[in-house]
Amino acid sequence: MSKEGFQVSDEDLVEKILNGNIQSFAIVVKDTEKLVTQIVRKMISNEDDQKDLVQEIYLRAYQSLSSFQFKSKLSTWIATIAYNRTIIHLQKKKIPITDITESRDEKFPIIENPESATIKSEEALILQTEIARLPPLYKTLITLYHLEELPTKEIAEITNLPDGTVKSYLFRARKILKDNISQHYSQSSS
Amino acid sequence: MKSSHLTEENLQAYLLGEIQEKSIAEHLSTCSGCQKNLEEYHRLLERIQKINPEPFPFDLTALAMETVIRYEKKRSLKREWVFWGSLFFLLLGISSLSIPYFSEIKAILYPKSSIINLLTIGTGLAVLFFLTADLIRQFNKKTTQLFKNNMQPTA
Repeated sequence: MSKEGFQVSDEDLVEKILNGNIQSFAIVVKDTEKLVTQIVRKMISNEDDQKDLVQEIYLRAYQSLSSFQFKSKLSTWIATIAYNRTIIHLQKKKIPITDITESRDEKFPIIENPESATIKSEEALILQTEIARLPPLYKTLITLYHLEELPTKEIAEITNLPDGTVKSYLFRARKILKDNISQHYSQSSS
Repeated sequence: MKSSHLTEENLQAYLLGEIQEKSIAEHLSTCSGCQKNLEEYHRLLERIQKINPEPFPFDLTALAMETVIRYEKKRSLKREWVFWGSLFFLLLGISSLSIPYFSEIKAILYPKSSIINLLTIGTGLAVLFFLTADLIRQFNKKTTQLFKNNMQPTA
């Protein structure tokens, strides 16, 4: 964990918080904010639900801090809590975590001129739309692996899935994205 | 184009550097279909890495800290109630136990002059007052220390 250029070890931070220094928990929140955002935001779209979940995640982390055994990084442990709470939330709402829906959104942007220089932003839009269409778990895995650049081993720890399963889901997610994007271009050129 | 192409899994693994088999490189140099497929994956990964992660539309740290502080205050209040409750019952117990000895205590104080009695009661009350005041002062100090600048991370 870092703060303005200098490192504070997980052990020191946890010790301070457990000794009643509540301000130190703000460092933990700041340092894990991006990771937790990626997990929750990719799986939950409703803002009120996101707020509730974020509060629940950090409160749970704070309450169970004394049980943290330093077997993993503190950020990985909090990401695991975030992932588990989000999955429970999805299960409560009966939202499938890995099911792939075949329906195509009609609002999908169509590229008028594939040669245009402005196409880059449209390409990004298409990609983001396609990522948003992925099942919640695939979205999270793609984000954690490609944007957060976490190794598959750490992702496996967060999601409590075997390393092989994470790799397999990542492979499937990339294939879906590639196929859907190719399909989009072939549709728009015909 | 060759009839047997590289699997999608092998193409992804090759692109990510997970496998570096010579046979794959050789195949790619001769197969335009696989080259195209590889290029598509390459562009996809490039684009994914260019995505700027969107933050929440709300201040996550403030929200999380607000929740934690609210919880801590509630816990602190609960502890306070337990403390004062225990103290009250302790004093009540001591008072109840001293009822049978009330006449004896009265007998000790009665023959003394009213000035001595007043001094004894006054000293007792002053000690009780200072002890209570110190207890409250320490409690307030700890509470302030705990919640002061709670939004400012400290090392």
